Amino acid sequence: MTLAARLRGIPSWQVTLGVALLGLGFLVAAQLASEGPRVRYTTQERSPLVETATDLQADQEALKAAILDLRTRIQAAEQAGQGSAALVKDLNDQLQSARIAAGLIPLTGSGIVLQIEDSQEPADPEGNMQDLLVGARDLRTIVEELWQAGAEAVAVNGERMTPTTAVIDIGPSILVNSAYLAGPYQVTAVGPDDLYARLSASPGFVDFIRARAEAWGLRVSIAEPESVDMPAFAGTVTLRYARPQASATTAAPAP
Amino acid sequence: MHQRRNQLTIATVAFVLGLLVVVQLRTQASGAAFAALSSQELTVLVANLNDRNDALRGEVAALDRELSTLTANTQRGEVSVDELRADLRRVRLYAGIDPATGPGVVITIRGPIDGTGVEDLVNELRNAGAEAMAIETVRLVPGVVTAGAAGVVTVDGVPLADPFELSAIGAPSKLTGSLTRSGGIIAQLAATQPDVVVEVTPLDRVDVPATDRELVPSHARPRL
Repeated sequence: MTLAARLRGIPSWQVTLGVALLGLGFLVAAQLASEGPRVRYTTQERSPLVETATDLQADQEALKAAILDLRTRIQAAEQAGQGSAALVKDLNDQLQSARIAAGLIPLTGSGIVLQIEDSQEPADPEGNMQDLLVGARDLRTIVEELWQAGAEAVAVNGERMTPTTAVIDIGPSILVNSAYLAGPYQVTAVGPDDLYARLSASPGFVDFIRARAEAWGLRVSIAEPESVDMPAFAGTVTLRYARPQASATTAAPAP
Repeated sequence: MHQRRNQLTIATVAFVLGLLVVVQLRTQASGAAFAALSSQELTVLVANLNDRNDALRGEVAALDRELSTLTANTQRGEVSVDELRADLRRVRLYAGIDPATGPGVVITIRGPIDGTGVEDLVNELRNAGAEAMAIETVRLVPGVVTAGAAGVVTVDGVPLADPFELSAIGAPSKLTGSLTRSGGIIAQLAATQPDVVVEVTPLDRVDVPATDRELVPSHARPRL
């Protein structure tokens, strides 16, 4: 009997049940996995403040999507400009290169993805609970080590590291750019083929693994996919205080 | 009879499945992290989200205006050279390709600070809204790291003298306040690195040089 014929022989309700059970198993696992040591309060205690924060986060997702969409449309409109072709083309080329430099264009290239998660070890009643959680300082150390290993672009959970990016703790969650992130944290880096080798050979990174993963049980894993996707920065690049210095001429050479 | 029992089994599984999907989605959507925050932390978070969403709204409005101007020019058959130049200036300034000037602070650091201490100061300044920064003549852009043990610190591989200066452009009072508040980063440094002296001077004009780094990645290309 061929496989297809055998499959046809199975009653369709069994297939349905099989698929449903598979989905059930996956969801039970996902649910259990997402209940880490951070969950201390039950849903019944969820306050209006949590609702407000959740709503504000949804607003933020919409605003970021709007920014990315507007930038794409502006870029298209700028490139559609007809007439005095040479000047416009030169300006557009400079703009494209400046936007890539500023992290405003999504990229794809060679690189690595490092994932770090909270420890699953039981909290020592005498010790500090914070030691078992991934903190802003942990993420900053990883990002600094990646830069030193030769990374050319880095993002954490979809938030691109830019000239204005701060990474700070707010209670047990971590603020990066405008976004509050929760674990597991995925640090994506674009860089040379030996990025992983250089990172794992760095004394600073070895110290970090010893101090945080080995001593406290933070779970660190590194993947080297065929290619990694680097998100664009969906934040504000309009500076309110900084201006170009008078002597700096940034526009294209006069036609 | 047999058929009915099958249907009952499937119905039960479907019900449990649906329940789990909802629970799972709610856990993901509302963020387990939010539920774990104290009300004090949540208050800080909500205030922060409000501020940052306002800034994002401002950016959306500015981009909307820019797009309208470009579209209007195209309809009139005009080329938007001025808009292109303005856009280029804005992006290059943000990225660190051009030198910047503006109000801000100059921070003088004396004594054997370590690289992490300097990175923590820089991070705190960014959180307080610093728009452009440099340590001595090195513009702080992605990829530039201050590293090293106490007293032998380098920025982007260049050794730093003692004392050295960190310049930041932004609202002077806000930058100063965030560093010097009680329990702030300078207080923390005083506790962990007591031989280090950090002095903050607000100024009407701070100059920050351009980066000399190549900022366009050579191991990646734009994703369409």
